[in-house]
Amino acid sequence: MAKQSGIGFLVARLALQNLGRRKARTLLLVAAVAICSGAVFTGAVLIQSIESSMSVGFTRLGADMLVVPAGTLTNITAALLTAEPTDLTLDEGILARLAALKGVQRVAPQLVFRTDASGYRRGGDLVDFIAFDPARDLTVQPWLEQHLDRPLRDGDVIVGGRREEAVGSELLVFGWPLTVYGRLGKTAVGTHERGLFISFATLAEMRVTMQQICGMKAPLEPNKLSGILLQLAPGVTTQQVRFGVLANFPGVKVVSGEAMLTSIRQGLTALLGGVLALMVIMFVSTALMVSVLFSAIITERKRELGLLRAIGARRHQIVGMLLTEAGLATAAGGIAGCVLGLFLMRAYQHSLVYHLDDMGIPFVWLNATITGLIASFCILATSLVGALGALFPAWRASGQEPYALIRSDG
Amino acid sequence: MLSCIDLAKTYAGERGNVAAVDGITIEVQPGEFASIVGRSGSGKSSLLAMIGGLSRPSRGAVNVEDTDIWALTDDRLADFRNRRIGFVYQFASLLPTLRIVDNVALPALLGRRQNAADAYERAVETLDQLGLYDHVDAYPAEISAGEQRRAAIARALINAPALLLADEPTSDLDEETERQIMDGFRKLNRDRGLTLIMVTHNLRLAEQTDRIIRIAGGKLVP
Repeated sequence: MAKQSGIGFLVARLALQNLGRRKARTLLLVAAVAICSGAVFTGAVLIQSIESSMSVGFTRLGADMLVVPAGTLTNITAALLTAEPTDLTLDEGILARLAALKGVQRVAPQLVFRTDASGYRRGGDLVDFIAFDPARDLTVQPWLEQHLDRPLRDGDVIVGGRREEAVGSELLVFGWPLTVYGRLGKTAVGTHERGLFISFATLAEMRVTMQQICGMKAPLEPNKLSGILLQLAPGVTTQQVRFGVLANFPGVKVVSGEAMLTSIRQGLTALLGGVLALMVIMFVSTALMVSVLFSAIITERKRELGLLRAIGARRHQIVGMLLTEAGLATAAGGIAGCVLGLFLMRAYQHSLVYHLDDMGIPFVWLNATITGLIASFCILATSLVGALGALFPAWRASGQEPYALIRSDG
Repeated sequence: MLSCIDLAKTYAGERGNVAAVDGITIEVQPGEFASIVGRSGSGKSSLLAMIGGLSRPSRGAVNVEDTDIWALTDDRLADFRNRRIGFVYQFASLLPTLRIVDNVALPALLGRRQNAADAYERAVETLDQLGLYDHVDAYPAEISAGEQRRAAIARALINAPALLLADEPTSDLDEETERQIMDGFRKLNRDRGLTLIMVTHNLRLAEQTDRIIRIAGGKLVP
């Protein structure tokens, strides 16, 4: 008995075999669609990764604003997690007055001191020491990924997410043995990831030694702060508090999270919009290309379509067969494009991430699930676009009289 | 079985409309084997296409088994062709990428009135009756032109049609194969009572049928 096939399987097989009959043309179609799909997939993954990186960098922050000395340069990606290392300082006395300002809910003082003389790991590594007040902290302890099973105490240090010290181990800096209390999660913010975080109380104990080793630097003077992170009361706008701070505290600068986020988000939205427009253009051009190609393919096969109509194929069955054929070819192109995109992204991962880091964009790759979803979307979209491209020529051909199709030279 | 009433077909040409068929009225009785004879361009193939529901007449009506086929919707007409009319063409009309058995089973599968197992069983039976049992799994390119034509006849018969239309079915075949095909038609007509209409320009073949319908310039001639 001959092997049996249902009509659906037979139509799918016809579609596949027709693609196989013209291998070179099919391969060119698959390659063209693969380029489109690969570009869309890579673009979508990179944009989503950048957006995700921004989310990591900003939306998990506890601070709404940062008050720093007027001359301080601020790195926008790091600003609302920690003040930047600088020799400019604020007097500690400002803290209580800031806390009392209308609209301010919490204040979190920080002092950041960058040095290569700490003796950290017995070398001359540049290390950022960030002193914070555990009781008022907004941005350090929420990021603890691992920590000892006890409260933070004097003589403890918290290491940034990219530091290698084991939790519970001992760390020697400025000749002081500190216990590694915990490690922060990866924030994609440099100072935060590579810093060593100690309480103001611990800094006070080490201050004299640090001054002896590093000299009398401004941040090491008593009662000095590098910056103060502010959390605003609900319903209060950053504009309201900004005016209050600038009016009452001359010589300070206010870094507002909202303004930064707005400008970055606006920039990102424009970029995203551009990429989306490019994706739409690529899909439309793919649809047009498939349409032109299938017009030619259908012209070649008019007699075959006429025969199918003559033996009883309904119009929608003919259209379905041609759309299946286009969908299969373009889906194959979509899969090839995603594989190509993945390969390219992995191949250029290091240089790409380095460049983005260099531009001040911390980079966090999307997880496999979301990448898979984007790939699935690209494959489905290319398949759909292919089918849509073939729809017009298929519909037009299927509407011709069977006799006219059979008589054609195709 | 079949009646064509004032059937006409006009094609738009570069120098105006051309009447391929012009007011033909004919009747074919059930079980009759008729031939339509005429020179090239006489309109015989256009007439057959209108009878078979493949080309809409510019004027007139075609009734097959009391169904006005050109009053049917496109889908219903496709179903009617599938169930009641079989076609054999003057060229190799098998789909080259499908096996012989798939080609023959295709109308049955398209009709969806039989499941795949029944359709294939019937396809093998029909091929066996036409002496092609050994070629069920072959592809069209692997068998001779005569065998391909017999496979096309098997495909035309798979749904047990009431009417078999053949358009120059032996035009590119050698004499021996032509004789085999004509013997096959006569056997189908005699044994199954199948109504056959064959278009040919070969009077010798037409003389083997029950009735000759002569056509010239799109009109019937005595």
